[in-house]
Amino acid sequence: MTTIPATATERDAVQSHPPARLPEPPVRATLGRLFIAPLMIWLALTIVLPLAYCIWISLTSANTMGGTPKFVGLSNYATIFGDGTFGPAFLRTLAWAIGGAVLQTVFAAGAALLLHQRFAGQHVARTWIMASWVVPTIVTTFLWRWMLNADYGVVNQLLLGAGLLDRPIDFLGSPTYAFATVVWINAWRWFPFLTLLILAALTRIAPEYYEAAKVEGATSWQLFTKVTLPFIQPVLYVVGLLGTLWSVNVFDIIWLTTKGGPIDTTTTLPISIYIRAFQQFKLGEASAMSVSLALFLLLFAVVYIRFAPKGATEQEVD
Amino acid sequence: MASSLVKPTIRAILIVILLLMIGAPFVWMVLSSLQPNSALIQPGNFFSPALVTFGNYVKLPSATQYVLLARNSLLVALISTAIAIPLALLAAYSVFRTRYRGRTFIYNLLLVVYIFPGVLLLAPLFGLFAVTGLLNSWASLVIMNVTFAVPFSVWLMRGFFTSIPNGIEEAAAIDGATDMQILWKVIVPLTAPGIVVTATYTFVLSWTEFMFASVFIIDDRLKTLPVGLEALVSQYSIDWGLLSAAAVMAALPVVIIFTFAGRYFVESITSGAGK
Repeated sequence: MTTIPATATERDAVQSHPPARLPEPPVRATLGRLFIAPLMIWLALTIVLPLAYCIWISLTSANTMGGTPKFVGLSNYATIFGDGTFGPAFLRTLAWAIGGAVLQTVFAAGAALLLHQRFAGQHVARTWIMASWVVPTIVTTFLWRWMLNADYGVVNQLLLGAGLLDRPIDFLGSPTYAFATVVWINAWRWFPFLTLLILAALTRIAPEYYEAAKVEGATSWQLFTKVTLPFIQPVLYVVGLLGTLWSVNVFDIIWLTTKGGPIDTTTTLPISIYIRAFQQFKLGEASAMSVSLALFLLLFAVVYIRFAPKGATEQEVD
Repeated sequence: MASSLVKPTIRAILIVILLLMIGAPFVWMVLSSLQPNSALIQPGNFFSPALVTFGNYVKLPSATQYVLLARNSLLVALISTAIAIPLALLAAYSVFRTRYRGRTFIYNLLLVVYIFPGVLLLAPLFGLFAVTGLLNSWASLVIMNVTFAVPFSVWLMRGFFTSIPNGIEEAAAIDGATDMQILWKVIVPLTAPGIVVTATYTFVLSWTEFMFASVFIIDDRLKTLPVGLEALVSQYSIDWGLLSAAAVMAALPVVIIFTFAGRYFVESITSGAGK
């Protein structure tokens, strides 16, 4: 089952799915460089320059209120690691990212397999599953705050009505439930996008592979484990990486639901950075946190890609 | 199509659950916006058809800054889109239809920008915008919207650009067309759906952007809708009917755009760009 005969059908299938490389167009090198230049200059100014500036201000006493920053060496780093905010926030970010990535990948894989099936209204379903990703996060967070409200929210009313609860749960206000609730809200917003990426991989599987396997008498389960899964595995791996990196980056969903509370239970590093920079006005310390987080993400990405299954990284480029 | 893992009935049930999971909260939001607040805070009451009212929508423009906020958001989104389209078009042409050293590297670089965590730029950008006088201006928002919209747009346009036959520029050049004429008269019409996708993505990204807007804009008159709505949610935290109406109206523009262009967007991810 695992090896499909090298028939003409298979060669056709391979040909209709070219390797993950950019096609080779005619040269026109000067024109190409000229056309890419505006974007490269733009990104140099908006990403490279701020990153370099971030490293510099992390070494100074800069604050959001102005004044002349002084060079202070690594003392900002000593402060953020010494005052006990970075460590807990870092661990929370880790739990947030891993929990989120797992939940989102599972949802996305399930949804993609469902939407890959042919049914009436398939295109409509594929488009509108994106609804939670398209609307502003303030709408998403308001929606869930309203539905999960302890006093009037529909979720509590339904759970109470069904006799599943004795007392309403304050999902976003209780230190016990807030973290898991925000992970859920974030997954609800993000998984449709990851669904499309997995769906793209499913669409790339040539029907010939299924047909060849069927000829050999494969069951549906075998079709899934021997054809579908090997094909989408690299993409699942990439989706896991994207899900993790995007989760780490999430600021709005958390800020607009809990502001990092209750009692810091949802304070991940982006929230910490925001509070440090714009509520405590310590730009230098906030930048030191950003640099530390950037180094960790870089390390994570390098290790993750290092252990990627064959083909995963090219699939992403593709 | 090929692998039907489960029986059609179970599959249908699962699809309905999936669509409900996404759709039900929105239905609830719309229903809430059509009820007076007094009905919404009545225990045990879910939705009373007899009490349906448009009162919340009528109250919205007078009780809140909704009109001003929506206008600001619209302008920021339109300016961002107008700048993103030519940048993305030129970059996509360069990456997919010409060849030079470093082309693949640039393509990969664009993908890195797409997964780059914007939160890392928050503190340094605040400093840089303060120094350059761009703080508290729409320019700061437009600049960041374009930065994060264009790289992904280039990726989305891949299928549209690579499907154009290779000799077409040469044929036009023989007819005496200049490079800019070829781009404008040949490439733009052929990649029109890709331009629609770029416009959709940039508009949605700009309309929904919260993090940069909450930090860079200080003046209330310049604030965008997501930031303004946040203040509204805190201010009217007990008027769930009014807030639901505000949320519906904030979601409406992107829903309308997605009704027309959503299909191209989804297809360019699942088929065109995936190739």
